[in-house]
Amino acid sequence: MDRSRVTVVIVVLAAALALPFYAGPFWMGLATQIIIFGLLALSVDLLLGHTGLFSLCHASFFAVAAYTTAILQVRYGTPTVFAAPAGVLAGTLLALVFGIAVRTRGVYFILITIALGFIVWGVAYRWSSFTGGDNGVTNVPFPSIGPLAVTSHLQYYYLVLAIVMLCALGYRMLVSSPFGLGLRGIKASESRMRSLGYRTALHLYVAFVLSGALASLAGVLYVYYNRFVNPVTGSFQISVEVALMAIVGGSGTIIGPFIGSGVLLGLRNWVSSFFELHAAVMGVVFIATVLWAPDGLVGLARRLRKRRTGIRKDPA
Amino acid sequence: MTSTILQAINGVSFAALLFLLASGFTLSFGLMRVVNMAHGAYYLLGGYVGLTLAEQTGSFAVAILGGGAAIVVLGYLVDRFLIRRTGENHLAQVLLTVGLAFVIGDVALAIWGGDNLKVPVPPFLRGAVELPGGVYYPKYRFVLIFFGALVFAVLWILYRKTQIGAVVRAGVDDREQVSATGINIDRLFVMTSGLASFLAGMAGVVGGAFLTLYPGAEWEILVFALVVVIVGGLGSLEGAMVGALIVGLLDAYGRWLLPEFSYFVLFGPIALLMLFRPRGLFGTEH
Repeated sequence: MDRSRVTVVIVVLAAALALPFYAGPFWMGLATQIIIFGLLALSVDLLLGHTGLFSLCHASFFAVAAYTTAILQVRYGTPTVFAAPAGVLAGTLLALVFGIAVRTRGVYFILITIALGFIVWGVAYRWSSFTGGDNGVTNVPFPSIGPLAVTSHLQYYYLVLAIVMLCALGYRMLVSSPFGLGLRGIKASESRMRSLGYRTALHLYVAFVLSGALASLAGVLYVYYNRFVNPVTGSFQISVEVALMAIVGGSGTIIGPFIGSGVLLGLRNWVSSFFELHAAVMGVVFIATVLWAPDGLVGLARRLRKRRTGIRKDPA
Repeated sequence: MTSTILQAINGVSFAALLFLLASGFTLSFGLMRVVNMAHGAYYLLGGYVGLTLAEQTGSFAVAILGGGAAIVVLGYLVDRFLIRRTGENHLAQVLLTVGLAFVIGDVALAIWGGDNLKVPVPPFLRGAVELPGGVYYPKYRFVLIFFGALVFAVLWILYRKTQIGAVVRAGVDDREQVSATGINIDRLFVMTSGLASFLAGMAGVVGGAFLTLYPGAEWEILVFALVVVIVGGLGSLEGAMVGALIVGLLDAYGRWLLPEFSYFVLFGPIALLMLFRPRGLFGTEH
């Protein structure tokens, strides 16, 4: 890690830790949301940035985890210590099943993950006797484990921040491990990795499940923040928006998905305060990203810096 | 017993609608390698334009042709100025066209509002027909089956029996080779994409007359079309037809027998199919 990146990480962390001292409740809520969706975008990027698979069903793991935790907490009064791990487990089990999608590549993978994602949305929407249909599950309490209980949004913000920081650390270890490098190798050339003796299909399957587990964790964090879950949580729109977050921020990096999450959620909040067609504005962001910033903001910054240092090194 | 038959007709008539949408999607993928996720939005917008035309002129035929034509113009502009810039990057195409679908959906919501709207059906298509055995069935959906079959027949003859179809098939197999023999492949692309757009817009009018038009309908119908294409195999016209029948019937029986899990009934077998034939029933390597 070079020095400028260390500086960026320290500045971002310091800003995140100090945020409650200068931001009001609205901004704290937005920040919590940005961090949670950043984690979801990071999980998508484990596949997109490191294996090249473009999954559009990650809202499913997110939603199944959120529903599981919410239903256990609200309807059965299960304590957090069981409900939260159960949520992550349920989402991960779904990823074990949906992992069959890695039998396909390229455009088929994209289309099949879209179709799989719609199963979850459809079941959440139609199986109303269990999921509450359109109304979803409401009144999810703050998490509490024994005497340790979260009682305010401020406390929950720090809890989320701590968990997500641990995840980012683990993620960094994962992608720089031999397994993570193997994934990068598959992205570069699957046939070469296969001829080197790697079981590429298994690699991809494991990556898919890990990515689903991370998305499930984000789902559990989300349901305790939002205190409510409905079929929209598992919709295609969420899946595709978090993929866009990863790309806008900069795919293949750790900070990128969080930046993307901040940019997109910030933009939507800002636009929707004065303009009714905010979905159309999001659509324009999709189009603009593809046409002008396919490597995202991190890529854009890198390109600009290269240009600048290039000029500086020029003797003339 | 009667219900079983009625559900079968329901399924087949829905299949006819799905075929209209999926055939365009599959042809434009086959020839141009374009994944156009805005196809559902084309359907919805075509339906809305047709609805307005039908209300103004009172003619269902004008609505169908006008809805299709509006989308041909839109589709041409989108192809020419947006999709072409993505090259063959499917990820970029998906993001771009999803974004486009958001824009279309939101603008349509602003113009036509959020209520369920129904394209008016001409009087001679209203009412019910009596089938042998004393079963009554809505005439419109019955006619739709014949309409779908007619479109399939026309497309099939165009694709399999005419010279232009032969060139398109050659283009699907090897685009560079066709180009090298001096055929203007660009013009072919414009024609195919125009046809796909027309089918999508027309499907919107036809579907809007019995499924109604509402915000979000674009994604619901798109997913059905995608599943049809996955089952049939990308780029195959026959696959789109067989896929549409499978999906239409699974959906009809699923809704009837297991209403809460109808999505599961529909997608479950498809997940299984994927395990054994990842490229669909009629798909080839791309």
